Amino acid sequence: MPPPDALPPPGPMPEADLPAVPHLQAKATGLLVLLAVLVAAAIGYLLYARGAFEPTQRLVLVADDAEGVTVGMDLTFSGFPIGRVQHIELSPEGNARILIDVPKKDAGWLRTSSIFTLVRGVVGNTNLRAYSGQLSDPPLPDNAERKVLAGDAMAELPQMLAAVRELVQRTSALAAPDGALAGSLANLQAATDQLKGPRGALGVLMGNEADAKKLLTTLDRTNALLLRADALAASLDRLAGKTDTQVFGAQGLLPETRATVLQLNALLGDARATLTRVDGVLAEAQGIASNTRAATTDMGTLRTEVEASLRKVQQLVDEVNRKWPFARDAEVKLP
Amino acid sequence: MTSPPTARLGALRPALQWLAGWWQIIHLGAVLGVLALSASGRRQAWGSGLAGQVYRASGPMLAGFTIATAVLSLVVIRIVIVTAQSYGLSQYALEMVVRVLVLELIPLAAALFGAVNATLPMADELATLRRRGQFDALRQRGLDPLATLVLPRLLAGLFAVLLLAALSCAVTLVLAYLSAHGFSLGGFERYTRTVGRVFSPPVTLIFCAKVFLLGSAVAWIPLVTVLQNPAGRRSRASAELQGLVRLFVVVLAIEAAALVGNYY
Repeated sequence: MPPPDALPPPGPMPEADLPAVPHLQAKATGLLVLLAVLVAAAIGYLLYARGAFEPTQRLVLVADDAEGVTVGMDLTFSGFPIGRVQHIELSPEGNARILIDVPKKDAGWLRTSSIFTLVRGVVGNTNLRAYSGQLSDPPLPDNAERKVLAGDAMAELPQMLAAVRELVQRTSALAAPDGALAGSLANLQAATDQLKGPRGALGVLMGNEADAKKLLTTLDRTNALLLRADALAASLDRLAGKTDTQVFGAQGLLPETRATVLQLNALLGDARATLTRVDGVLAEAQGIASNTRAATTDMGTLRTEVEASLRKVQQLVDEVNRKWPFARDAEVKLP
Repeated sequence: MTSPPTARLGALRPALQWLAGWWQIIHLGAVLGVLALSASGRRQAWGSGLAGQVYRASGPMLAGFTIATAVLSLVVIRIVIVTAQSYGLSQYALEMVVRVLVLELIPLAAALFGAVNATLPMADELATLRRRGQFDALRQRGLDPLATLVLPRLLAGLFAVLLLAALSCAVTLVLAYLSAHGFSLGGFERYTRTVGRVFSPPVTLIFCAKVFLLGSAVAWIPLVTVLQNPAGRRSRASAELQGLVRLFVVVLAIEAAALVGNYY
């Protein structure tokens, strides 16, 4: 129990037994200000770090699967973060829509031809990356919606394993002792042996000795044929030389032919003159013919007159015959 | 009146006492909260030496705690960065440092350091004052001992934890930057981005709530536990121990809730 003389001192601060601190108010105020400054600086820094002071534009990436994508994740371009995932939602078509805020100062790296990929690594988190091949293309507009290409190392792994397994199986089948590769190698060995043999490559190609011999014989004959062909060509050359002399030489066929043609021309001129004369004869013959035609006309008239005279003579004879009763028995028969 | 069976009462009594103890703590805490929020309560607290309590709670240990956390942070940062590099995951090292140190370890360390160095001695002081009958004397003079004696210490304890946590977090962020990038401003943008990614709005909210709740618990539970027991009883030491245990339970609960909020 406290002794009765230990009652509180008159002031409102009963902790008078504590040592007095010089400039207490100032120090306490300093501490309060320090805390206020720290908190204000922290708030300002965090707002800056979250990009609250930067004007941004919205980019919407559409992915089949948003697994691994988290809000706050970076969109990187050449390894530099240029955007931040703000929201992930499911579209009415069942796709994941990843809404990304890109600061205006970094939006210049994104072009209308930019490609976006979503890569899930085997170790580590998922990465959203942008690639711009043509930086001269027009910049990406605000609220642009782009399809994101997914590249998933883990998703490819089972398919790859299956493909590798099939490949190994086929290789094993190929390399088996009774497989195609072993057979081919054995054949190759046999062929190499044949190559090294007396018949060499020809034996490998022909398969048997008879055919190889035939080929050799054919080659020999071809050689002989070629020799004869050479001789023939030489004689042809000679013939050509002679022909040249005979045809085109000074005493050749061609000059004589030319003389003959000249003579023929002269003959033709004579023939032409003869024909002219024949033309004159023909014209005269034509005149004779005309005269003959006129004479013929006169002869028609003459004939008519002769016929008339003959008819008269006939009538006269008939008259005489009628009048002459002895000549025959004239009988008039009435119809 | 029918008394319950002895065995049943014996089983229920500790639970009832435990519940009653927590109820008293919550009730007194609520009263002190109302006093802290009311203008007259704050005026009485300021008039009865709030500035002195604030300085005594945080001033003397500020430098020591900052240096201690800086050294500890340097060690942890170095370990994390070197380990991450050896696994080829250095790009995640800074994020991990920020998460482990700034979000989790430093607020907890600040709370425990504040409890041991500020609020537990204050609780002892309050117990002494109460044993000496100062509370009754103040009441006789028409003053509220809760507003004049307890509230300044409570606010000072809360302030001490907040200040220690804020200063140490700032120092650790600077040290992490220096460890990763050296004395160059070249990595500032990237580092800022990493910090911004860690401190998303929900995480920031949970972090602020956690620091404030830890500070409140550190200031409130030891002081209130001392006031709870009747004055002059010989169970003072056990009351302080009880306060410490309760404080640890509450700190653990706050930490667990913050972890659940952050990572689930």
